[in-house]
Amino acid sequence: MNIPMSWLKAIIPIEDTAEAFAEKITNAGMAVEAITQPDAEISGVVVGQIKSLTRHPDADRLWVTQTDIGSEVLQICTAADNLKEGDYVPVAVHGANLANGLKIKKSKMRGQESNGMLVSVEELGYTRDDYPEAPEDGIYVFSQAYSLGIDAKPIFGLDEAVLEFDILSNRPDCNAVIGIAREAAALYSQPFVAPAINVKEEGPGHITDYVTVDVQDTDRCPRYIARVVTDVVVGPSPSWLRRRLNMAGIRPINNIVDITNYVMVEYGQPLHAFDINTVARMNEKYGVVVRTAADGDKFTTLDGEERTLTESTLMIADYKKPIGIAGIMGGDNSCITDNTKTILFESANFDSANIRLSARKLGMRTDASGRYEKGLDPNLSLVCVNRAMELIEELGCGKVVPGMVDVYPNPRTVKTIAFTPKKIKELLGIETLSANDICAYLTRVGIETRPTDTNGEYMAIIPTHRADISGSADLAEEVARFYGHNNIPSRYVQRVDGKQESTSYGPSCTLVNTIKDAAVALGYYEAKTFPFDSVKVFDKLLLPDDHKDRNAMVIRNPLGEDMGIMRTLSLNGLLESLGRNDSNSNESAYLFELARTYHPNKEGEDASSPYEPFFLTLAAFGPDMDFLSIKGDVEEILAALNVVGIGFARHQLPFTHPGKTALIQVLPGRGQNHPPAPIGYIGELHPQVCENYQINKKAYIAVLCMEALGELALGARRFKVPSIFPALTRDIALVVPEAVTAAEVELAIRERGGSHLEDVKLFDVYQGKQIAEGYKSMAYALRFRANDRTLADKDVQKPLRLIVDNLTKKLGAEVRDAVKKA
Amino acid sequence: MGVFSSLGLFYAIILKKTLEQVLGKRKDNPMIDNLRKKIETALAEAKDMTALENLRVSILGKKGEITDLLKSLGQLPKEERAQAGQAANELRDWATLAIKSAIDDMAQVQQQNALATESIDVTLPGRRRKIGRLHPISVTHKKLEDLFVSLGFNILEGPHIETVYNNFDALNTPHNHPSRDEADTFYFNDNLLLRCHTSPMQVRVMEAQAPPIRVVIPGMTYRRDEIDATHTPAFHQMEGLVIDKGITFGDLKGMLELIVRHIFGPGTAIRLRPSYFPFTEPSAEVDVTCYSCKAKAPEGCRVCKGSGWVELWGCGMVHPNVLRMSGIDPEVYTGYAFGLGTDRITSAINGITDPRLYFDNDMQFLSQF
Repeated sequence: MNIPMSWLKAIIPIEDTAEAFAEKITNAGMAVEAITQPDAEISGVVVGQIKSLTRHPDADRLWVTQTDIGSEVLQICTAADNLKEGDYVPVAVHGANLANGLKIKKSKMRGQESNGMLVSVEELGYTRDDYPEAPEDGIYVFSQAYSLGIDAKPIFGLDEAVLEFDILSNRPDCNAVIGIAREAAALYSQPFVAPAINVKEEGPGHITDYVTVDVQDTDRCPRYIARVVTDVVVGPSPSWLRRRLNMAGIRPINNIVDITNYVMVEYGQPLHAFDINTVARMNEKYGVVVRTAADGDKFTTLDGEERTLTESTLMIADYKKPIGIAGIMGGDNSCITDNTKTILFESANFDSANIRLSARKLGMRTDASGRYEKGLDPNLSLVCVNRAMELIEELGCGKVVPGMVDVYPNPRTVKTIAFTPKKIKELLGIETLSANDICAYLTRVGIETRPTDTNGEYMAIIPTHRADISGSADLAEEVARFYGHNNIPSRYVQRVDGKQESTSYGPSCTLVNTIKDAAVALGYYEAKTFPFDSVKVFDKLLLPDDHKDRNAMVIRNPLGEDMGIMRTLSLNGLLESLGRNDSNSNESAYLFELARTYHPNKEGEDASSPYEPFFLTLAAFGPDMDFLSIKGDVEEILAALNVVGIGFARHQLPFTHPGKTALIQVLPGRGQNHPPAPIGYIGELHPQVCENYQINKKAYIAVLCMEALGELALGARRFKVPSIFPALTRDIALVVPEAVTAAEVELAIRERGGSHLEDVKLFDVYQGKQIAEGYKSMAYALRFRANDRTLADKDVQKPLRLIVDNLTKKLGAEVRDAVKKA
Repeated sequence: MGVFSSLGLFYAIILKKTLEQVLGKRKDNPMIDNLRKKIETALAEAKDMTALENLRVSILGKKGEITDLLKSLGQLPKEERAQAGQAANELRDWATLAIKSAIDDMAQVQQQNALATESIDVTLPGRRRKIGRLHPISVTHKKLEDLFVSLGFNILEGPHIETVYNNFDALNTPHNHPSRDEADTFYFNDNLLLRCHTSPMQVRVMEAQAPPIRVVIPGMTYRRDEIDATHTPAFHQMEGLVIDKGITFGDLKGMLELIVRHIFGPGTAIRLRPSYFPFTEPSAEVDVTCYSCKAKAPEGCRVCKGSGWVELWGCGMVHPNVLRMSGIDPEVYTGYAFGLGTDRITSAINGITDPRLYFDNDMQFLSQF
């Protein structure tokens, strides 16, 4: 909302500059976003005097002037015929900027030098409607003498500062000049006296001779006032009013429309004017009916658009037809024209929620609906209609018929709130604040207070325009605003009374931090992605049509089709990121994200409680990345979390390479016989998926369920004394059928390795010459170590024999040799 | 090679001196003298470690010449044996010392030669084993979490898909409040939405826990803003909530000052402007002194537009209705809450001008933090 300083000052004296006032009122809660000068583009226009005036020697229509601008006398040519020697005129000097981007430079006109320009109001961006004293087709001539060379803008009133306010949504009363003036009065501790309004009512007859009003829905229309103006003369408004509207950002149209807009800016209440002759009559009277529309009704608003209504839309109608959409926009069929002779003025109060709903359903947002939506004081309706009538009379646009129709079945009255000054003092933490201080602050904002019989309790009487105040905390805010938030003393030590549990990052936070540290140490970069996906993602990831992860939470009002659902897999955002990194020529991208997926429900649980499991996802490509690398990284992260007993098993997923995918699972511990429990998966991305995401490299992913990791991780670590005795290493080479897995071999080794087997390391796998078809050779280094002595060769003979037996019997292995190694 | 020759000469001089000390006053023993001369010559001629080692073995080894000499002493007549024995032992001690010194010095020379040849260009690029990086927003969260844990807060997270009740109703949000609009908040249905702030977790905490409460709630929040140079539909917040007996607006101010100094440095000041949030009363917007121009407010500062202040987040005293709805008696307890916009804070710290970069995950961006 834009308010020119001069308008405010007309109501309440303000001595501060616009900048100082803006800062103070901002600190009191009415934020000034910017201070602007509407005519800032105009510069270099000064007062000059015509010293001489002669015809141009070579052009009949031009004059050559010698114009004194104090510092020098300029020769300036002009085509205007209204000047005479001695006239004081506005002069745009070399380098001046005028309206519409016009720049003034020294030039020649038909051979004669012209060092500037004599200016008309049009060149300043205005018309004779704004400056009626300006000549038609001529240079503006000042009506009095000024010092030569001074800036002409203040003389035209073009130096005005306009404050741009951002009003909080709970203070609709401040969406108006009067509201800000009231705040300014409180700010400067001045009494606020509302301007007096006088209506002479010189029109013929009485309102009851003209109008009846039938409000059929008093919930949606708590108040409706109608007044009538006869002998209307539609024409332009006076310049002062036009200028104020212009500065408030509203284009002047004609005196009637301008008056409704002026009152709306001044008091915050929208008004509407109907041409009374368009309203149907019954029993000789114009009958206004306030009622709801029927679903599907059509109505053409005054902007010429046909609107489709719903049964919740409140309409202003007569006995035959609607003539306006209440609180949003009038009808095309009832608007003011140049021929309008008699006007019905409406000043009404409408339910904010209904206006909001109707405006949204209609897809319309007007100045009026924007104000009604925020909720207006019904007591304002009377003030505003009378202010409009006063202006009608003052501007001579018509005669106001005595009386009004005012349908207001349940008047809003002041409310009282009990409060305890001590509590306000304690809430704010201002030790020195007395009850009298508090009451004085409240008086400044128009809230009267008085002590009650109850000990320490006061009553506050809240004016009806302060619907935002409903309790003691609201009163505390009023005190704080004018005491100054920044003056309230800070306190640093807060009470901890010992009942509080120890503070911590919490288990989930610790888990997250441990994982992040490990991932970062392994060279991964943390990514963040939007959780919105498109349903197309499921196709990009090659999910079958009946895949359970296609069951997603659907956003009712998404930003677009591509962000229509909540992700059910944690991959899409990261794969898009890999594609972006590849197309940005980044040699490698190692990304990880800790993020949620979103599901309508947890499997087997109530469908109305959404499920948001948390996942660690790794996604990477790069010269050093392959399946075993990402597997190793997962193993390191699990080690960092102290997760043990994990196995990897061949697996199939729609979006990964069928031969390079593994399920990560918790193996049953000793004495347990549950099946391995999956906690995640790793794999090389399917080439088709790579193509779908425009990743022109082999890419790898790993996904781990955080809930499972939380259960498995970070148990107390069992300490093992480091051995000071040397280890003994034996290599063992075996030939096994191709289908035997490394995991099976390692298990067979470990389960017979005995208590001294410290490490099993696969160092070679070979297929080819000297190995029969369908078989492979595998070589392992086994390391033995004891805690209490140096192992001798004989100490490992028995476990080696057992291992060889086990490999042979269990896996059909042919053990080639068990070699001693240093 | 020059080094070795001069060393040989050096040992020859030592040898001679030592021999005079050992044998000078005795009558000549030609065998010992010959051996001495031989060793002297060999030491002078030895050009590398192998030669010295061979010399050591041939003189002092099991079958070395001095060893043989000592063994042969028994064959001498008894009267000569003692003197010859002494001379031979002295020769052995001398030879042991001389050869060892020669070996040690040769080793030192070899090491120095090796060091000289191993010299490299130390400005060659380091072979980096690259660690990764945390996301810059996570870095901010970590920094803030460290502060809050040190001040006695617990850190909690909440669901992103929330009920309309927790997100709006229980936070005292009027039914016509603009934030409820479909244009501003993502809805799944009339009951479920994507939380538009971390504040609904306040409700969950207060319903689950009796005061005193001191928690911070970091996490992603959602608003229906088109993606552009200043908006993303998802962004991060960190909500703080403190409820106890006797908590005042002054406590809130003190906490805010600690936060801004922790993030932006010791000189940072705050300014509070009265504001409106349905769930706090009184409410305030927090401005901090411009971190870009250090509040010197030059005309050209793009961050604060010359004002010297930057609006960063909202805060206030928990509204009594909010306490009441969550089962806490506002007559007994008061509290404060604040919602830090951590994307904005991160942008402020790192001078990031476009929040879309946070979600692009380009390595060129991520590797800078």
